[in-house]
Amino acid sequence: MTPMAKSEFCGMIMSGNEAIARGALEAGIGFCSSYPGTPSTGITSTLMKDATEHDIYVEWSVNEKVALEAAAGASWAGIPAICPMKSLGLNVAADFLLNLNLSGTGKGGLVVVVCDDPKGHSSSNEQDSRFYAKAAYLPLLEPSTCQQAKDIIPYAFELSTRFEIPVIVRSTTRLCHSRAIVKLGDIPKRKWRVTDNLPERLYNVPNPHLRHRDLLEKLELVSKEFENCEWNNLDSRDSTELLTISTGVCHSYVEEAVALLDDNAVGRLRLVTTHPLPKQFLLNAMKGIERVLFVEEIDPFVEDEVRSLVVNHPSGEMPQFYGKRTGNVPAFGEMNTDILLESIARILGVVYEPLDAETLVAVENARKLLFSRSLTFCAGCTHRNVYWALRKVRQRLKGKLVVAGDIGCYSLGVFYDESMNTMQAMGSGIGTACGLGQLGRFGFDSKVLAVAGDSTFFHACIPALVNAKHKNADITFLILDNATTAMTGFQSHPGSREQAKNRSHVSIEKVVNAIGADSVITGDAFDITSMVELLHRTVLKKGLHVIILASVCRLEEQKRIGSYDTEPEVYIDLEECSGEKCRICVDDFGCTAISWDCEAGHPVILEHLCVRCGACIVVCPHGAIRHR
Amino acid sequence: MSKAYNILVAGVGGQGNLVCGRALADASCAQGMLPVVGQIFGASQRGGSVYTHVRIADHDTGPLIPRGRVDTLLGLEPLETLRAAVDYAGPQTTVVLSTMGVRTTATHCEEDGHPSSDEVVDALATICVKVYPVDAGAALRVIGTARALNAYMLGALAALGNTPLHADNIKASLAEIIPLTGMNLAAFGAGAQDIMDVTPVGRNA
Repeated sequence: MTPMAKSEFCGMIMSGNEAIARGALEAGIGFCSSYPGTPSTGITSTLMKDATEHDIYVEWSVNEKVALEAAAGASWAGIPAICPMKSLGLNVAADFLLNLNLSGTGKGGLVVVVCDDPKGHSSSNEQDSRFYAKAAYLPLLEPSTCQQAKDIIPYAFELSTRFEIPVIVRSTTRLCHSRAIVKLGDIPKRKWRVTDNLPERLYNVPNPHLRHRDLLEKLELVSKEFENCEWNNLDSRDSTELLTISTGVCHSYVEEAVALLDDNAVGRLRLVTTHPLPKQFLLNAMKGIERVLFVEEIDPFVEDEVRSLVVNHPSGEMPQFYGKRTGNVPAFGEMNTDILLESIARILGVVYEPLDAETLVAVENARKLLFSRSLTFCAGCTHRNVYWALRKVRQRLKGKLVVAGDIGCYSLGVFYDESMNTMQAMGSGIGTACGLGQLGRFGFDSKVLAVAGDSTFFHACIPALVNAKHKNADITFLILDNATTAMTGFQSHPGSREQAKNRSHVSIEKVVNAIGADSVITGDAFDITSMVELLHRTVLKKGLHVIILASVCRLEEQKRIGSYDTEPEVYIDLEECSGEKCRICVDDFGCTAISWDCEAGHPVILEHLCVRCGACIVVCPHGAIRHR
Repeated sequence: MSKAYNILVAGVGGQGNLVCGRALADASCAQGMLPVVGQIFGASQRGGSVYTHVRIADHDTGPLIPRGRVDTLLGLEPLETLRAAVDYAGPQTTVVLSTMGVRTTATHCEEDGHPSSDEVVDALATICVKVYPVDAGAALRVIGTARALNAYMLGALAALGNTPLHADNIKASLAEIIPLTGMNLAAFGAGAQDIMDVTPVGRNA
């Protein structure tokens, strides 16, 4: 995370994530546990920077479930704990969350921050995590600005402490990563001490249904509290023909759309307490209103709740509803001001044209020139070498190689001729391989190879690997070990090269050996030639074989070592280069540091991007790429 | 509530887009205005398109510029500048763009269908009021690093003076974020100088 900027005029410019972290400090937290995941990472990394100064404990846990469990432990002992995670992280933590809700969080207070990623900018899906609040019968708060993101956290803690249940705060990518001025409050000086005893009955048996009953009662009280809270606000008058009910960052899009339409007929209701709903507040707000438009990301969560709220009211008394269910706003993807301009204008029967006819024609002509730009591995990334090698092995096996993939930078392998075939959840590469590796009996005749990164290995691969060993699946498991959580910005994990004091290193190799794989081989992702042979040889073997490939994240390396100026330059010997007839280096290998001189018809090394690793040297069949 | 002034920075992951956004936001803060910066980072930093929306106003705005409402488009890469213009520019938009392209992995040449920077400039000129193409590539080759592209482009934007932000404030804000010495400083100065020699094209040029 970038440091916060200070200005004598306006205080702090903060991202939504930094604002949430600040809110946690102002709430006086003592504990933070988290697993990195975009767009949530910045919350914990900000707190980690401030940990010593404010005497709080902050850890990057091994996964989100362990993080939530650790945070619950702290809260039970009286220490306020925050647990930030990305959308998909809550899937991992959900098993515990749907028990913790019944057991309670004790005196400390526990706030779960879940950051959803509409449109999946940095995610493999675009799930709406708010349904977990409903499934777990927990209070849910959705701030709409950076300021509110900060302000809501102390309230969330206060609520959690009072009802002794977790409170969920939900953000989305645009709020997490947006930066705006935030007015700060004070950070209290606290010296936390644990309570004398843990709460009694931190388990739900023998009558979980009675715990459920008790939780429902709490939720009813929370709902009453939300009826008269300062977070929700209504800007509506007698002339209001259309009322928008918006949540989260969408509210700012509504405000802007209405300002641009310059229409007095639109009232706006900002709903921050989205579960449980403040029923009477909403019913009152909708009284006498003809039309209501729901604006939220990603699913019609509030829309459906409000629709069910009025189901027993006589038709005619309640407004006409517009939203995702009626197709007035898209039921997928991100919201923005333009979607609302169009939607509100259509409902009101007014015309809004963002561009004049002449400009529109120019824009449509310009659009024809565009090309999509797919994501790529960084220059010199060793993951590129691995997928190059895997493609070679697949060719040798006449296509009979399935690569079951996982989550991380190396997920981009799907963009390299689908050299990675599958990619779903953390750890699901080795998990799906467990199934694929049993299908020989049904005639499955491809070799199966699973890929995972080092942080992912610790996060979710170990149970599946034990399963593979126990069931004698025929799998090769490839671990790309760059010793950091590269995708999210180099957070440390148990296998990281450098460990902070009071942290122990956990060796992937020792874990894998202890599980008892039939062979555990270490290789080097830099050495493409030997990697091809190693992979080919190994996938042909029966049994469970693990290959740990020493890998390098060039971004992390550049932070560590600075520049590559002392390494020998990589150059192209134009005497040997076959030019247009070949193009393997630029088209097939595709390192971003290799470009093409279109006029002369040969490749060019882009000096400012090249990390001088020389991986491309063996890729060239003509020996034209060399170290100087 | 007055209108926000909208600056969009468009480029490719790794070009220093986020630094540009921060410098512009901090500069507006120094002038007593309220900036809101909308951006995406994470996977898109791995070579994808990256936009930073900088909105300067006297009130809190949403993080995304509405379609057609960009006042100044700062383009770090031609294709991404065009993409941003298609999505967000209008007849009032002034464009300052670097003509130095970062080719996609699928298209390296015009024969592959990749538009030339001249084609991009021509297309931009049909949409926007003024388009200032700057040859950042040539300038940075002289300076000796392509990594100072963001400093060069901010220098050009600061000197052009069409935004509400004073050149000195942009420079001072940038200096808070990156060491504005050596090649970065040279690039900032070169950008400021080069833009003065550019004759804009565009609908009103």
